Amino acid sequence: MLPTLSVLNLNGAVPQIAVAGAGMLIMLIDALFHRGSRRWAAYLALLGLAVALARVVESGASAETILDGALARDGLGMAFALVLIVAAALSVLVAMDYLRREEHERAEYYALILFATAGGLAMAMANDLVAVFIGLETLSISLYVLSAFFTGDAASREAALKYLLLGAFASAFFLYGIALLYGASGTTRLVEMGTAIRLAGTQADPLLWGGVALIIVGVGFKLALVPFHSWAPDVYQGAPTSVTAFMSVASKVAAFAALVRLLVVVLAPAAPLTSALLALLAVLTMTVGNILALAQDEVKRLLAYSSIAQAGYILVAAVAGEVGAAAVLFYLLGYAFTNLGAFAVVLAWSRRGEGRLPFSDLAGLGFRRPWTAAALSLFLLSLTGMPLTVGFVGKLYLFGAAVQAGWTWLAIVAVLNSVVSAFYYLRLVVIMYMREAEMPLALQRAGLALGVALAVCAAGVILLGLVPGVALDWARQAVAVVLS
Amino acid sequence: MDWPVLSIMLFTPLVGSVIVLALPKEKPALLKWVALAISFIPLILAALVWFSYDRGTGGMQFVERAAWISAINVHYYLGVDGISVPMVCLTALLTTLSLFYSFIIDQRPKEYFAFFLLLETAMLGVFMSLDFFLFYVFWELSLVPMYFLIGIWGGPRREYAAIKFFLYTLVGSVAMLLAVIAMYLETGSWDILEMARLQPFSTNLTLAAVAFWAVFLGFAIKVPVFPFHTWLPDAHVEAPTAGSVILAGILLKLGAYGMIRILLPIFPAMFRQFAPVVGILAAISIVYGALVAMSQWDLKKLIAYSSVNHMGYVMLGVTAAAAAAGSGPAAADSQAIALNGAVLQMWNHGIITGALFFLVGVIYERAHTRDLKAFGGLGAKVPTFAGILTVTTFASLGLPGLAGFVSEFLVFRGAFALIRPFAIVSSLGIVISAAYLLWKVIQHVLLGPLNERWARLTDMNRREVITLAPLIFFMVIFGLYPAPILDLINQAVVTIVGSL
Amino acid sequence: MVPADFLPILVLIIVAVGMSAIAIALSALLGPHKSTPTKLMPYESGMVPVGDARLRFSIRFFVVAILFILFDVEAIFFYPWAVYFRRLGLFALIQIVVFVGILFVGYFYAWRKGALEWE
Repeated sequence: MLPTLSVLNLNGAVPQIAVAGAGMLIMLIDALFHRGSRRWAAYLALLGLAVALARVVESGASAETILDGALARDGLGMAFALVLIVAAALSVLVAMDYLRREEHERAEYYALILFATAGGLAMAMANDLVAVFIGLETLSISLYVLSAFFTGDAASREAALKYLLLGAFASAFFLYGIALLYGASGTTRLVEMGTAIRLAGTQADPLLWGGVALIIVGVGFKLALVPFHSWAPDVYQGAPTSVTAFMSVASKVAAFAALVRLLVVVLAPAAPLTSALLALLAVLTMTVGNILALAQDEVKRLLAYSSIAQAGYILVAAVAGEVGAAAVLFYLLGYAFTNLGAFAVVLAWSRRGEGRLPFSDLAGLGFRRPWTAAALSLFLLSLTGMPLTVGFVGKLYLFGAAVQAGWTWLAIVAVLNSVVSAFYYLRLVVIMYMREAEMPLALQRAGLALGVALAVCAAGVILLGLVPGVALDWARQAVAVVLS
Repeated sequence: MDWPVLSIMLFTPLVGSVIVLALPKEKPALLKWVALAISFIPLILAALVWFSYDRGTGGMQFVERAAWISAINVHYYLGVDGISVPMVCLTALLTTLSLFYSFIIDQRPKEYFAFFLLLETAMLGVFMSLDFFLFYVFWELSLVPMYFLIGIWGGPRREYAAIKFFLYTLVGSVAMLLAVIAMYLETGSWDILEMARLQPFSTNLTLAAVAFWAVFLGFAIKVPVFPFHTWLPDAHVEAPTAGSVILAGILLKLGAYGMIRILLPIFPAMFRQFAPVVGILAAISIVYGALVAMSQWDLKKLIAYSSVNHMGYVMLGVTAAAAAAGSGPAAADSQAIALNGAVLQMWNHGIITGALFFLVGVIYERAHTRDLKAFGGLGAKVPTFAGILTVTTFASLGLPGLAGFVSEFLVFRGAFALIRPFAIVSSLGIVISAAYLLWKVIQHVLLGPLNERWARLTDMNRREVITLAPLIFFMVIFGLYPAPILDLINQAVVTIVGSL
Repeated sequence: MVPADFLPILVLIIVAVGMSAIAIALSALLGPHKSTPTKLMPYESGMVPVGDARLRFSIRFFVVAILFILFDVEAIFFYPWAVYFRRLGLFALIQIVVFVGILFVGYFYAWRKGALEWE
């Protein structure tokens, strides 16, 4: 049968079209009139994201397919898409002044962010493993290029090359996993695959297990789960800070969206085994991430290890499967504000032309930059999980889901890890407030856009921590509507 | 009272903290007076609550309840009974006195006073919350300002002490949090009173034991009970004077309060089962704390360890009440007496140790040392100081007629009836504490030949005397006539004992 | 499809790997091992290599190669579409136009950014 426009249901794909379209428009305009300031590109990017956001928000709690079944427009997909779009918009704001300061202000930056977002949106809404893969590649390739965006900087190039090589490796695993799952079920459509697996029972089909394992390895690379994390610190440190900020949030949101959908729609019958596997990864990821973070003396690298550990916490709820989906979503929403905010401060404080922010540079900033320092303290406390910040409610929800699903020991490990993490998060606060600078840092004035981004992040962290009710309800309702 | 007195009391310091931050830092005197003035509002309201609490009806009064996060059934739920009213009053009183004493702070006064007011909100919140989620929020919130107070305005090893304080408490509180999440999933409620009614895990004893110990750990670290006390000497010694006062005076009470308000009513069976273990820990805290205090030559460290010793009596009282849980009306009298003693000891320890830390601050401001070997013969040189120190020390060692005696007597009266072996061992602590307080504090500081270094030492100034006067007043008045406060406490204690 | 259907492929793999393994093993076992400097040179013809094997060459080759691959892929998609053009009708025409349009954005961008200029 020939496809028709109504089967494509393009209306549902407006978010992706708006985002990718804005990206292409930026490329075209830049190619035509490439002189002067590139602010317009940022505004255009924000516009594209706003259109996508509006479309995502207005879509009700229905479940339907788009593009002939390749994508799903349901609560789960829309919710993760929303988080992703918010993160992308914030990282555009964060980047505007930074790129100009570092003399790398080019329109391609925003176009690439938009393409990466479009890829992430495809992953969040994918109903087909091939669509997941295409989304993953669109996201990843954009991020490879973005990592190398500071072309004169050797660290940036090194980061990009490492990321590219290991990313390609991961893609191969993922693709092989898709092939095996296809072999096991005879389809790549998630819904049909789920039905096939349910009908076949959960007997030990080596193709199924091989496929699941390989897909988890592929996603594990993307999420920097231990033991697939080795690229993350170097890439996070070497890439331009605004890229790191985006990457640390966007690829997590997209990959967790795909993982949650896979667990809920396809692998629910196989839950005992996948859960055990994920639990093992979660323990490793949290513990190794936290322990390695303890040894760092540079903020960007510290945040890299911290975000490895954070992925571990989120995985704790993913282990709980359907019960944990809402917790994963809510935590990622909070994490987007928190982590982007923290990186925004790093970017505001790092010396010009230097990606690193050694701990010693923080000394005394608590009083010299009271607002920014207070914001960073807030983000760090939220990452620790202190009450009245979103990090607390998020962790409560994550670990609560684990306890509810009977994974109490895993929740205990996670909680112990939170304590360990408090040590290195607090160390930054100590240095900011309790030490005097030996050689005070020459600080640039933070631009308006960065200020707005920081204010939004801080407001998000506090509001979601103080009155999380609305967002919790939203998360719970969203994940309940899954195409299956 | 038909206006939200507790909420106003709770959030006035928070608003005050913002006001102080908004004041210009070029005018330190202004912001100090503003902070002090603001702290009088919760103090006056606390006194109002004390006098208008209806002792006849008892129970939770001034209750406020509203839905907060309905998705997980969390409420904004405040209320006070006879146990929390004294604690609320103690908090408001010590905060006001600390702020007044802290007028000497020159380094970043704005942030100091803002953090102090924030701390008051957090502490009041813990004593008022009847919803576990809310309780935990304030519990953790109290960590942050104290962490900064130690870390920025503390002594030479302040960084280490601040982080140690934070991490120790955090370990305990996350363990507690996990247990509480499990309790919530079991009962569907965060309501502390409701949980006590529902008795979570009454069918699954393993889980009940795990939850009991997790919650116990959270509170035991804060109290602190041996062997979780090692954060305390560091934090107390490095904290600025007013910080030490609040730490010893109130933050330790948070843990003890949690034991009485939460652990005991929610897990009475478990507490009774493990009473021997807790009793041993309490006895060790008492004796070991006293012995270690005796071996100190740093005056502040000595008083810090004396807190381990004195908070041990609180634990002993709670354990005595727990050991007889479920044994009916026969033991109820002794239980109530022990628990009354424990709560009163919390109040007294707050007043007395608060005063002792102020006095250490007074002498350190002048002598710039806390080395007991360096002092001697100050009694004649600084008579006001000597007089106040003597009264406070005697109150601390439990001299009849002063406040410490009443509470220790009640604790031991209850404990001898219910857990005799532990009481006998613990009574050693009284002897030792009398020994170190008399020998180390009175003799080494006040008596003996005057060290020539201190020939120009000045006596306490007006600010310092005003700070200490209310504390001395309460030591004497409740030592001679404890009925007003015991009436208040007894009402609530009898309710708890009746429910065990 | 069940795994058993892949059996011929498995046999083929085993045969292929086995044949080459046997060939290498036999020549290693049976062949004489007398290495001389001349024999170990890169070219067995006896030609003496000149210069370094590692050469830098212009990045432009790379850019051109990438562009070639991109637009070559475009051509591959055109073939099936062209063959079934009449049956697929207007709908497929719109799709291919969108596809070409997206590629043209890239092409136009590469052109304006100077990727096609050699100097």
